[in-house]
Order: sequence, then structure tokens, then C-alpha cells
Amino acid sequence: MDLERVQNLTDVSEMQKALEKLNAEEIDVDCELNTLLETQASLEDKMITLHRTLPNLQMLHTDSKQLSSMVSFTSTLAENVSSKVRQLDLAKNRVTSCIQRVEDILDLKYCTDGVQQALQNEDYEKAAGHVHRFRSLDENVLRMSEIASEGSSLDTSFRLLHESEDKLRVIVNTKFDASVHSRDVASIERFFKIFPMLGLYEEGLTKFGKYLAAKLSEDADRNLKLALHGIDPEDGRSSVIFADTITKLFEDIAKIVEIHQPLVETYYGAGRLVILVKILQKECDRQTRKLVEEFRNKRDFDLRVQQVQQSLMFHKQPAIEKPDSKDLDVLLSEIVLLNTRTELYLRFLKRRITGDFELAYQDEEKRNEKSSEVDKFIQSCDTSRLMQELIGNYIMMEEYFMREMVLKAVAMDSLDTGSPTSSMVDDSFYIVKKCVRRAMSSSSVDGVCAMLNHACTILEQDFREVLYTRVRAGFPSGFDLTQAYNMVIQQGKSSDTEKAKAQFISTLNNAEVSCDYCKQLKTNLEDEVSKLYTQCSDQSNAKLESCLSDIGACATRFKDVVEFGFSQMTQSVIKPRIKPQIDIFLSTSHNISEDDYTNFEANDPWVQNFIVSLDNMLGSFKDSLTNNNYEMFVSLVTAEITTQLEKSVQKSAFNRLGGLQFDKELRVLVGYLTSVTTWTIRDKFARLTQMATILNLEKVDELLDYWGPNSGPLTWRLTPSEVRQILGLRIDFRTEEIKRLKL
Amino acid sequence: MEDYKYLFKIVLIGEAGVGKTCLVRRFTQGLFPPGQAATIGVDFMIKTVEIEGDKVKLQIWDTAGQEKFRSITQSYYRAAHGLILVYDVCSQRTFDALPQWLTDIDSFANEKVLSYLVGNKIDRGDAREIPTHVGEQFAERYEMKYIETSAKEADNVDKLFLDIASRLTEDARERNRLIPGEDSMNISSNTKSISSCSRCFKF
Repeated sequence: MDLERVQNLTDVSEMQKALEKLNAEEIDVDCELNTLLETQASLEDKMITLHRTLPNLQMLHTDSKQLSSMVSFTSTLAENVSSKVRQLDLAKNRVTSCIQRVEDILDLKYCTDGVQQALQNEDYEKAAGHVHRFRSLDENVLRMSEIASEGSSLDTSFRLLHESEDKLRVIVNTKFDASVHSRDVASIERFFKIFPMLGLYEEGLTKFGKYLAAKLSEDADRNLKLALHGIDPEDGRSSVIFADTITKLFEDIAKIVEIHQPLVETYYGAGRLVILVKILQKECDRQTRKLVEEFRNKRDFDLRVQQVQQSLMFHKQPAIEKPDSKDLDVLLSEIVLLNTRTELYLRFLKRRITGDFELAYQDEEKRNEKSSEVDKFIQSCDTSRLMQELIGNYIMMEEYFMREMVLKAVAMDSLDTGSPTSSMVDDSFYIVKKCVRRAMSSSSVDGVCAMLNHACTILEQDFREVLYTRVRAGFPSGFDLTQAYNMVIQQGKSSDTEKAKAQFISTLNNAEVSCDYCKQLKTNLEDEVSKLYTQCSDQSNAKLESCLSDIGACATRFKDVVEFGFSQMTQSVIKPRIKPQIDIFLSTSHNISEDDYTNFEANDPWVQNFIVSLDNMLGSFKDSLTNNNYEMFVSLVTAEITTQLEKSVQKSAFNRLGGLQFDKELRVLVGYLTSVTTWTIRDKFARLTQMATILNLEKVDELLDYWGPNSGPLTWRLTPSEVRQILGLRIDFRTEEIKRLKL
Repeated sequence: MEDYKYLFKIVLIGEAGVGKTCLVRRFTQGLFPPGQAATIGVDFMIKTVEIEGDKVKLQIWDTAGQEKFRSITQSYYRAAHGLILVYDVCSQRTFDALPQWLTDIDSFANEKVLSYLVGNKIDRGDAREIPTHVGEQFAERYEMKYIETSAKEADNVDKLFLDIASRLTEDARERNRLIPGEDSMNISSNTKSISSCSRCFKF
């Protein structure tokens, strides 16, 4: 509120208001002044204290300056000291390496002296030890210090050592050879251990390998000679003498590897076993070749192969001399044994070499590379090749043997009374199983697969063809009565028909049983494969699996034969026997009076005879057919009855009582058929039963009680038009009423 | 049940070193392994292809060409749906051996087998010894399909296998059409055809 405004005030009330305001302001200002005056004292006190501390601050400043200069001085000092320590350390290191070098030189001197001394004493291990020590020294580094130290002496040492090394090499080589010559096993092993110390890894292993191979060769030659001259035909092992001999060879090699592997690994280090094995394998190849050659000679192998090849090529000509099956059987068993021993041995080698490589190489890639090298070495060695050739011939002969034996089983087929099948099924499947199992025992995956393929061919083609041809000949038709008549008149002819019938039935059974046998064979072989071929690669397993599943698939082919056989039977047995019976139904009136109905109750016009005749027919087959085939037969008979009967019903005329009669007849028939089968037959009769229901109605409208929403659990198998047609068969139903029916 | 509609077995045959394994590797794995070692016995590969919407599984049996494995490899002929007879267009010897292979096919394979004659290694242009038309004529005379391939350059390799797959699929579909659903009255008339093909398929 300024003065000017106050002066300009004209109104009293306003003036008063201004006055009041001014008064209030005055009071406020007074209060403020009072508080300020109150603090004055304390402020003055503080000022006084500050004045007092001022000189102290100046002292602090000088002190700080002093401290700072002291710290920087110390730091410089420390820096100086540490650099000296570093220098000292360097010096110390140099001193150490210097000492090391001096030691090396001393060692060198010691080695030089020691080597000569040891050589003089013929202590070759010691000498080699010195050379080994010397070889570990860095010659160039030592020679650098030559100028500083007693130069010429160092040079002489080196020259001496090099000379000694060369000398030692020559000595070890000659001594080793001499030891081999004198068969001094201890010395051989002694020098074998010295080679690696001189850096002669390859040389040592090669020499040692050659020595072992030579020893192996002697043993193997002796064993083979023994086998060739000592064959005692009475001896149980004489038929597998070659397999036994090759087993001995493989066992010898395995023993050598077993014994020497630790030695090689200790003195030569891991990863070098393969050098030794390769040399041994070379000898093994040589021995195997000799053995296989002798085997081919003594067992007339090539002649047999030739005979089989010729019989395969011209199997229509019986003139060619066939190899004896029994001899072949024995020979095949020996080949299989030869191969399985070889596979076992090669697997052993592979495991050992791979194990050795795994110790030597950590790198995955390097390992894989080495492993595939091992595979290649084993696959391409002569022993493998020889066996591949043998297995090739084996497969051909085994297939021939299997086919010959199956054909023989077929030729010698006989039917035992009481058995639904004839001997050829059991015999043939036994042979097939035997041959495939023998192939399995060879351990050759390709061999097994090939035999599985051949087994399929024989079963699906040769064996099935025999069954198919017999079934195609058909079932001799004819009635029982005429047969009985013939039996009296012409004994011979009738028994021919009987024979043909028996053969047809047994063939049908054979085919049915073969389905099961195929599946069984597959399961059995599968089990065996999973037991014998546990170490197979995935690829081999896939191959085996595929070939095995083909054996199981053979079952379908036999099923076709069964179906074909039954279609033959439907034509020649079922149809001709059902037809006349159904004809009797057709000729029996179903438009009958009360009297007729009661009469029929006592003297059945049709169904009883039909059942007797059916029972006769089914009974005559029941014992001769296998269970499955009998079921199939009944089902076909049933199918025939229902189709024929349906047709006949549609051709007949009914009244109420006739419908009742039909319903009764049908119940008896269904009852009978149910009693002779294990499965439910009612379903097959559903349409006929529904027809009977319709024919049995009181009046047309009654149908609606069963139709549509009223049908309840009943499912109609008849179409509305069929229902109308059946209703039309009732002569007492009016056509208009049937037409009016809403279906 | 595996996820395929048809399964076909294809068997490769021919002299040693004509490139059977390389053809199979090229098709199944897309590789051309240089310095491929000789096949021992029989190799087995699987590849599933799609033919007009249907999954078709091809089981490829790659057989060894060496004589000593003949008795093993021949056992595979009968079950084969497709046979691929391979020769090397740069080697008269492998071409001259073809008649013997055809005799083997005649005696061991199914008569309805689909067979292809393949001239491989066409990438080695200058070294070629058998001109295309000679191979073609030979194939025509023996009623085989003919195709030239290079496993190295992947020329025609896929085409070869896919051609076979689609032809076999077509045949299989055709047969399926001929055989309607089960009809018990018709068993006798259909038996032969059912039996001749039912073994080839897995539904």
C-alpha cells in the first residue's frame, strides 16, 4: 500500500480499511524486528569463534605440503628397488639355464664316457639309455655355447656320441638278427626293447613282427601237415579238420597279439600296434591261402562247385552226376565254420587296433580317419577275400542243397492217417529253417540275407507252385451214393477218386499250415538274428530286417492258395450238395392248411433231412480239415445256404401258417449251424430271419410295430422295396394294403 | 505303420567299377565320394520320394559287381520291382558284358520287372567309347528304358530314380483299379492277379 494511494482516498470507510491494514502491517514488522534482534547475540558469538580458528588453518596447509613431498619421495625409492629385483630375477633365470646347460654338457660328457664304457661292457640297455638321453638334448643350443666353453672337447663328444649311436644301431640290429637265428627268446625281447630308445620304432616292430611271423609260419605249417596226414576218418572232428586248423592259426595270432600288446604299448607307445599286426596278418593271409587251397583239394571242393553249377544250369537233364546231398551237407557245415572263425578273428584284430588308436589319438576326426583305415585294412586283407569267395560258393551250394532237399521232401510226400497235413510241409519248412540257420552260423550278414532271399524264392515259387498245381486239379465231385455204388462195382477207380480227394484236402491243409509256418519261421529266425548278430552296424540290421520281413510276407501267397482251393471246393462240393436240398424246400408248399401244419409237425417235409445231409457233409470234412480250414468250410457252406435259400424264398408263396412253418424251419436250421461252429452264425442269417418275421405277420399293418421308430434293437437288413416284395409273397395280403404302407 | 503308401525294391547291377555305388550315393545323400572302394556284398539305402501326392518309399539295393559276390547279389533279383543295369560309357568291356547280365535277369528276376539300362560317367567326354545311339539301340532291342547319367555331375541321376518311382507307382495304381473290393463269389477269377501284386504293397 503506497502513500499516493492513501492520499487519494476519499471515502471514510475505505480510509478506515486502509488504516487497519497499515496497523496490521506495523505489528508484523515489529515482530520481525524482535526476532532479528534476538539472534544478534548468537551470531556475534559465532563470529568470534571463527576468528579464533583462522591461524590453525594456515598450519594445516603447510603440513599437507610436507606430506605430499614425502609420499612422492617414497614412491621413487620403491620404483628403484623393484627394478633392481627384476634385474636380479632375470639374472637368476640366466644362471639356472646356464647351470642346466652346464649340466647338459656334463651329461653329454657323462653320456660320452658312459656310452663307451657300456659298449665295452656290452651293456646295451645302458648304452641305449645314454643315447636316448643324448637324443633328448638340443644339439644346436649346446653347440652355441661352444665358443664360450672348451670348444673342441664338446665337438668330440658329439662326434663320439653320434658314432656310438650308429654303432649301437648296427650292434642292436645284428645282435637281434643273431638272437633270432639262435632262437634266444630272452635276447630277442631284450633287443626289441632297445630299438625304441634309439628312435627305431618302425624298424624294431618290423623286425620283431617278422620274427613272430616266422615262428607263426612254422607252427602253422606243422599244424597243417598234421591235419593233412593225420586225418582219421573215424575221428569225429575229421569232417571239420580244416576249420579246426584255421582256428588254431587264429588262436595263435590272437595269443601273440595278447602277449605283446602291453610290451609294444610300454616300450613303443600307443598307436604303433598296427605295424606289428600288419606283418602278422601278412603271414596269416599266406597261411590261410595255403589252408584254403588244401581244403579245396581234399574236399573236392571245386568239383562239387562245378557239379552244382552244372546241375543248376541244366537241371532238366538227370544224366549229369549230382553231388551227394549228404556229402554236401557236411561240406557246407565246414565252410560255415571256417567263415565264422574268420569273422571272429577279424573282429578281434579290429577291436585291438582300434583300442590302441583310441589311446593314441584324442582328436575325434583323427580317430575316425584311423578307424576307417582299419576297416579298409581288414576288409581288403587276403583272408577276408578268400572267405568272401568261399561264402559266394557256399551260397550257391546251400541254395542248391535246400532246393534239392525240398524237392525230395515233395517227391517223398506221404499222408499219415490222423494228420490233416502231409509230410512235405513239415519236411520242407524244416529244411528251409535248417539251411537258413546254417547260413546264420556263418556270421556273414550278406550270406544270411542271400539265403533268406533264396528261402523266399523256394517257398513262394517252387513249394507254393506244387500246392497250387494240386489245388488247381480240383476236388473230384460226385455224390456219396454214387461213390458207394462205384466202390462196389469198380474198386480201382473209386479209390483213385478217394486218393485225389485226400490229396486235395491235405494240400488245402498244407497251404493253410504254411501261412502259419512262414510267420513262425520269421519269428524264430528273428530271435536268432537278434541273438547272433548283436554287434552289427545299423545298415546290416536294416538289411537283415528287410529280408526277414519278406519271409513273413510269404504267408500271403499261401493264403491265396487256400482261397483258390476253397473256390474250387465251392464249385465242386458245396454248390452241388446244397442246391438239391434247397430245391426240395422250393418244391415244398408253404401255402398250407391247419391239417398240413399239424402233419408237418409229425412228418417234417424238409429241414430235418436237410440237416442230416448237412451234418453228413460237414462230418465227412471235419476230421480231415485243419481247424481253420474247417471253419472256413462251414462259413462258405453257410454263405451258400443263405444265398440259395433267399432266392428260393422269393420264388415261393406263403400263407400265415406257411410263414409260421418257415419261421420254425429257419430256427431249427440256425440252431443246428450254431451248434457246429465256434463263431456266431446268426449274423449271416439276419436277412433270412427278418424275412421270416415278415412272412409270419398277422396282418400287413403289424409290420409297423417293427419298423422305423418301433424297430428297437433290430437293424433292418432289408430295403423298404425288399420288405414290400416279401410282404407280397403272402398270398393273403392285399397288394393295395402293402402299397399303402408308409416305409 | 510307417508313413508311405507304396514300397518298391530297386536293385542296381552291372560290372565292377561302373559307378553303381556313386549313383546311389548321389541320389540318396547328394554326395559324390571320390575313390569309392569296391562294394562288399550288398549295400542298402532308403529314400522316400513323393509321386503325385503319394509317399513312395524306395528300397535301393546296391550290389557288388565283383564275380565272387554273384551268388549273393543274384538272390535279390526276384523280389526287385525295378532293376537298373549300369555300364560305363567309357569302357567297351562293361558294355560287352551286358548280354551276360541280361541272361542273369532272365533266369532270376520276375518277368514283370521294370528294367533300365544306364550308361554312366558321361562327364568324361573325350574318353567315351560307346556312343549314345549304340546304348539306345541295345536298350531298345531288349525292351529296356535307356538313360545316360553322370553321378559326378549329378546329371540325370534324380531323373533316373524318379522315373522308375513314378512308373512303378503308376503300375501299382493301375492294378489297384483293376481289383475292386472283396467279392467272395469272384475269388477264383481274381486269385492270380491278387497274388501277383499283393506282395508288392503295404497299405
